[in-house]
Amino acid sequence: MHSNGAELAKASDDLAIQTSNLTKIFNSLVAVDDIELNIKRGELFALLGPNGAGKTTTINMLCCLLKPTGGTATIMGYDINQHPFKVKELIGVSPQETAISEHLNCWENLALIGRIHGMEARELRIRSQKLLETVGLDERAKEQVRKFSGGMKRRLNIMMALIHNPEVLFLDEPTLGLDPQARRAIWEYIVRLKGKKTILLTTHYMDEADFLADRIGIMDKGKIVALGTSTELKISVLKKHTIVIYAWNLTQKVIIEMRSKYDEVEVTNGTIVITDKRLDFKEIVDFLHASGAVVRSAYIKEPTLDDVFLHITGKELRE
Amino acid sequence: MRFLGLASRNLKETYRDPLALGFLLAFPLLFMLLFGVVVGSETTPNFPIGIIDDDHTQVSQSFVNEALVEVDAFEVSTYDDATKAMKDLKFGDLKAYIVIPQGFSEQVIQSGQGDTANINLNITYDESDIMISDQIISIINAVTRDFADIEIPITINANPIHIETEITYIDFIAPGIIIFGLLIMIPTSARIIIHDKEKGMLSRLLTTPARPVDFIAGYSLCLIAIAIVQIIIFIAAAWGFGMDIVGSLWLAFLIYFLASLCSIGIGMVVASLTKTENQAEPLCWLFAMPLAILSGCWFSVEIMPSYMRNIAYAFPYAHAIDASRGVLIRGVGLEALSTDLLFLTGWAVVIFSIGIILFRRSMRS
Repeated sequence: MHSNGAELAKASDDLAIQTSNLTKIFNSLVAVDDIELNIKRGELFALLGPNGAGKTTTINMLCCLLKPTGGTATIMGYDINQHPFKVKELIGVSPQETAISEHLNCWENLALIGRIHGMEARELRIRSQKLLETVGLDERAKEQVRKFSGGMKRRLNIMMALIHNPEVLFLDEPTLGLDPQARRAIWEYIVRLKGKKTILLTTHYMDEADFLADRIGIMDKGKIVALGTSTELKISVLKKHTIVIYAWNLTQKVIIEMRSKYDEVEVTNGTIVITDKRLDFKEIVDFLHASGAVVRSAYIKEPTLDDVFLHITGKELRE
Repeated sequence: MRFLGLASRNLKETYRDPLALGFLLAFPLLFMLLFGVVVGSETTPNFPIGIIDDDHTQVSQSFVNEALVEVDAFEVSTYDDATKAMKDLKFGDLKAYIVIPQGFSEQVIQSGQGDTANINLNITYDESDIMISDQIISIINAVTRDFADIEIPITINANPIHIETEITYIDFIAPGIIIFGLLIMIPTSARIIIHDKEKGMLSRLLTTPARPVDFIAGYSLCLIAIAIVQIIIFIAAAWGFGMDIVGSLWLAFLIYFLASLCSIGIGMVVASLTKTENQAEPLCWLFAMPLAILSGCWFSVEIMPSYMRNIAYAFPYAHAIDASRGVLIRGVGLEALSTDLLFLTGWAVVIFSIGIILFRRSMRS
């Protein structure tokens, strides 16, 4: 029993964020419903779910902005209810709404947060320079940020969460409303942070969670309905496979024959989509060739997190 | 020293926003300009005033000849009895007439010796023009108080400049308008804080280790700097419009400073209780405008019913107007103002404490 206790202590040492029965109720709305989460140090964890699932409420409780209605959480071992200011020293938060001081320039915005965290002028200057270079804001660093584009503001928004080199980073919808190019740039930067910081990221973009996260928690109506790596989640729902084939010279005979063989066969403009529990890629392509069709392309369609979400909740992730 | 970082940011946000800064200074200045033009030196109103001296003493005669006659706004004519004066008032030849009752000189001398005895003057005036009658009454009021002060044998020698003092309308109105300018600090303070709240900046800052007192200090320092600049500009503008500054400028500054602290405090409380600019802004004006009227920014508090006056004096601004008029017009010193100053200080302390408590409560909901 003794060794078991020691192991437990060690296990919680490895955890950066740990919640137990974390609950938030606004009037009668249960925004976050009894969440149990364990996020390891250095892990990038994504909370994925539609708007209103309770992702931001969860983050707001963890960074001591909202008091939980029930349950609690620890950040690096400090309880959010008992030691909120200790927690605040350890975390960096990039809020969902871009919250920057519009009439200040990049340097001044970073210094604002840095100074509150007690950074020294020299350290602040060096780190600001480095961060601004990394996200390509150094050339316009002396301009008031109200003149910036949405993407630039977003980047600064994230850098303000990082200036004091926090151990735990909260990124609430870091690429909300950005064009694909700007999103890519932010993703690349977040990837570089992987392993160095514990990151809790919320998003309603499945590709973002898929691309960035070590583990994903799918959230719906205040609950975490599925948890695991992207692959684990996909395998869990993988009951049928889908192959998409683009081919010429398809005859009606071939299609009828395939429909008799497989569960679902859809044909539109030379594209055949075949879905069944068991599919053999080679067998299908060989059959088509033998029937005189010319296969131009064929691929196995991977399940997406959207499929996972649909499977679990019965609705599409995208509204 | 977390609050210094917050304060310097708040200041930059303010002075780098020319439109907001412009409004802050221009609005009260515009008022002063309007009053300056309307009642400025070139266009002093001319009120025909009748005087009946029933006291027939040297004091009452000098009151008429040295005080009342010297008022630019008055065209004084003397009457032997009230019947003729009433007739002229009815015909519109007079705007008002004053009866100096018997015993006036004794009352003046007694009050000069520190007694709290009232000085009685009977004023009959034409009610049809409220603005004018208000002005006449407040001018007579000021002139009489001024006169009673100089008749004190001891102070005559101490303050000989008083004899030169001419109380014009701008002298009377300017301290009130300055307070009106400082009342506008209520919406200003609330706006600066609520803007951060609405834009999510406050939430972001609340995820840092800054404490409630850092936020209050950070906002206050910025607002205090704004208030100091405002007070200097207002006093300079009032002086430019011809306001005489008889007493200590520092004392006047202190009074205005305390009044602006109260405004900042009220603004913070409103910002703590509201969520958006759309809620905060009307609520602030709901405070500021009635307070401006009640406290006597434009009219003398004396003309109000007594219950209204009681409400007015529960707030700091009527005290600030009285005290600053006393300093600027009559050269009253620190001792005479200690009650008003204590009241102002107390108000500032209480409202700031409430602000901190409310802010702490709203930090984490």
